[in-house]
Amino acid sequence: MISPEKCIGCRTCELICSFNRMEEFNPKQAAVSVFAYDEAAIAVPIMCMQCEDPSCMKVCPVGAIVRDEKDAVIIDIQKCIGCKMCISACPLGNITFSPTQKKLIKCDLCGGNPQCAEFCPSGAIQYKEATPANLNKKKKMGEKFKDLFGEVYEQC
Amino acid sequence: MLGFTGKLLRVNLTDKTIKKENLNLEDAKKYIGARGLGTKYFMNEVDPKVEPFSPDNKLIFMTGPLTGTLATSSGRYEVVAKAPLTGTIGASNSGGHFGPELKYAGYDGIIFEGKSEKPVYLYINDDEVEIRDAEHLWGKNVFETTDMLLEEVGDDARVACIGPGGEKLVLFATVMNDKHRAAGRSGLGAVMGSKNLKAVAVKGSKSVQVAKPKEFLEICKKSRKMLKDHPVTGGGLPTYGTEILVNILNQSGGLPTRNWKDGGIFEHADETSGETLTEKYLVRNKGCFGCNMGCGRVTRIPEGKFKSFGEGPEYEAGWSYGADCGVRNLEAICKANFICNELGIDPITMGSTIACAMEMYEKGILTREELGRDLPFGDDEGIVEFTRMTGLREGFGDKLAMGSYRMAESYGHPELSMSVKKQEMPAYDGRCLQGMGLEYATSNRGGCHVRGYLTSPEILGIPAKLDPLVTDEKAPWLKTFQDLTAVVDSAGICLFTTFGIGLPEISEMLRTAMGVDFTDEEVLQAGERIWNLEKLFNLEAGFTKDDDRLPDRLLKEPMPAGPAKGLVNQLDVMLKEYYEVRGWDENGIPTEEKLKELSIK
Amino acid sequence: MIVKYFAYIRDYTGAKEIEIDHFPTLNDLLLKLCERYGSKFRNKIFSNGNLSNEIIILVNGRNIVHLQGLDTCLSSDDEISIFPVVAGG
Repeated sequence: MISPEKCIGCRTCELICSFNRMEEFNPKQAAVSVFAYDEAAIAVPIMCMQCEDPSCMKVCPVGAIVRDEKDAVIIDIQKCIGCKMCISACPLGNITFSPTQKKLIKCDLCGGNPQCAEFCPSGAIQYKEATPANLNKKKKMGEKFKDLFGEVYEQC
Repeated sequence: MLGFTGKLLRVNLTDKTIKKENLNLEDAKKYIGARGLGTKYFMNEVDPKVEPFSPDNKLIFMTGPLTGTLATSSGRYEVVAKAPLTGTIGASNSGGHFGPELKYAGYDGIIFEGKSEKPVYLYINDDEVEIRDAEHLWGKNVFETTDMLLEEVGDDARVACIGPGGEKLVLFATVMNDKHRAAGRSGLGAVMGSKNLKAVAVKGSKSVQVAKPKEFLEICKKSRKMLKDHPVTGGGLPTYGTEILVNILNQSGGLPTRNWKDGGIFEHADETSGETLTEKYLVRNKGCFGCNMGCGRVTRIPEGKFKSFGEGPEYEAGWSYGADCGVRNLEAICKANFICNELGIDPITMGSTIACAMEMYEKGILTREELGRDLPFGDDEGIVEFTRMTGLREGFGDKLAMGSYRMAESYGHPELSMSVKKQEMPAYDGRCLQGMGLEYATSNRGGCHVRGYLTSPEILGIPAKLDPLVTDEKAPWLKTFQDLTAVVDSAGICLFTTFGIGLPEISEMLRTAMGVDFTDEEVLQAGERIWNLEKLFNLEAGFTKDDDRLPDRLLKEPMPAGPAKGLVNQLDVMLKEYYEVRGWDENGIPTEEKLKELSIK
Repeated sequence: MIVKYFAYIRDYTGAKEIEIDHFPTLNDLLLKLCERYGSKFRNKIFSNGNLSNEIIILVNGRNIVHLQGLDTCLSSDDEISIFPVVAGG
């Protein structure tokens, strides 16, 4: 789950993602990118959302894109022929190609423990579903009520 | 050796040649990178007596071995040149994203030589490096320049540039990157302007490698956790930014007020504090590259005559325009600070110079006719207007553009400039914080708080609690802090990390990134080496023991009130001890023995 | 006596500044304040009965570490400032 309102734009996610893939630091080889919008005062991390109905999986001509046991949509490197159709198919632009490594870059959730979420200092990237229980916008509304009506009791 | 890309760019602006050369790895091992290595290169190639605006002065951008890595707050790069404000070695560093991008393009640094006839900018896209025409950018402010360049070269680039302040050789002009981040002090932006170099735009797609990836990852994880768990770096800094210091310095009686003449207590401090900034104007936090603190402030003044939007102010800028000018209106302080960023000038020197002018106005040395308006202490419109006029060198701004020392001296009153080596001292009164006084007097770039930062033990109790009012132990503490900050600046990480981590963690990051097996002590000794090298530059540039002093106000005018009431700074006591612990002679000159011990000569 | 609160300590006290009756020592004052503001405040101020590392207390601008710590004697015109540890620069 991504909460852009919390993102401080530090791009630590890009660093750890590239390091996990290649033991080098290279934001352009990361599966996550942070876009900062100065005037709007916001930064947005963009990465694969592991769609329920992934276009990349559907378009792959050799069936190299599959869902693993952790629910991540992953690319089987052995099967991939590098046709890059998935890049075109992804409506979110979350698959890219590394010209130096000659392979596709796509988030695989790090085998169930996504390091971007682990390293994110502000909680903008969290590894959990946006279920009603997790969605902090809902929780925030709840807290507003708490602040409005709760403080009477606290002060007594 | 890793951590480095191993390549440097040498750009001659006179004959428009660009060379790629190998990094001197021997020197890198001894001087680490960024501030240390940049200074070493500079001293190898430039005569310390050079005129700052001469084409013979060089301008060096240098990253460190940790820049662009997972090390905590690894966005830093250093700008080095002989400084126009002070005439000392100038070294200022900045965060943001520019430094890492330079490394991703494949270069540890850039050495600019000579002077271009016409305005130019340097474009770097990995191996493609070009000097390009910048006539269309000349005269544009920092934000306009950055936006125009991103439009021109693609918005995935990172830009460092100067504003009108640098073009017009304001002696305290900054080099700005990523719009809001500044290599701020001593006027290095004016050196860039003197070379007709408007900007550097860089895009990189290469990797930065470290020598021992697994071990490096471990120490980065550990350091990040320590910073996250620390109440300061994980709590106070992210929540309130650096302006949080206003109240504690004020309550401690160390917040210099009205050009330092009214002591260390500002009656309206809370109105200008981090608490107020957070409550009223903070939009959100912003972090530099790889930072897990995020002390940056995105702030908005929603309405009124100071309506504006930008970043900051930091504590020292907030102080210079606030307590130092006697201004209680935080909206005006924010606005003046934003203008500094737009025009590319240092808000610490700017606010302090206006404060000096305010005292001169109060004393009748400066008149309404001369200034073009009244300028009493507390004039909130005045700080905004004179900042703008200085950046553009309009009217009396042309005089203010020289900084407080030269401006006050031109009226026969240099004693009213609160500066050391002609650079204004920031935000911590040396009569209350005795150690900070010693720090200002001995800093290699004049009045400066980040060449040591004894405020940390004297007021904040990190990493130990020293009594600010006494001189005991200050000299040895300062030496260690000066050497350690030299290490941090040279490594390419942010000084704020040292609130939560220390020499052992920084040394381990350097060892595993570089693949060099130095001990913690050897790392700290590299800091000492850097400090002594800078000192040698200043000695060769003509500085003597007489320049290691404070304004008379701090030595002769006792603090009028507060916990430090009746005290002056006991510089003589501390300075003697300081020279001793440094292994320098009684004139503050490093002994042959010391230089040999540090393998400098 | 005047007690001033800063930064997030204000979240626990709901006030920036209060006037309070005289207490002979700092420890007495702090115990009273803990009683008034409750456990969140108490947990910030004390840790295992000692002054917490995460707090800075000034009496008339002097850090109590350089006075007599919790035993610092107070007089009725003293000003006490309570900060969480902070830094910047």
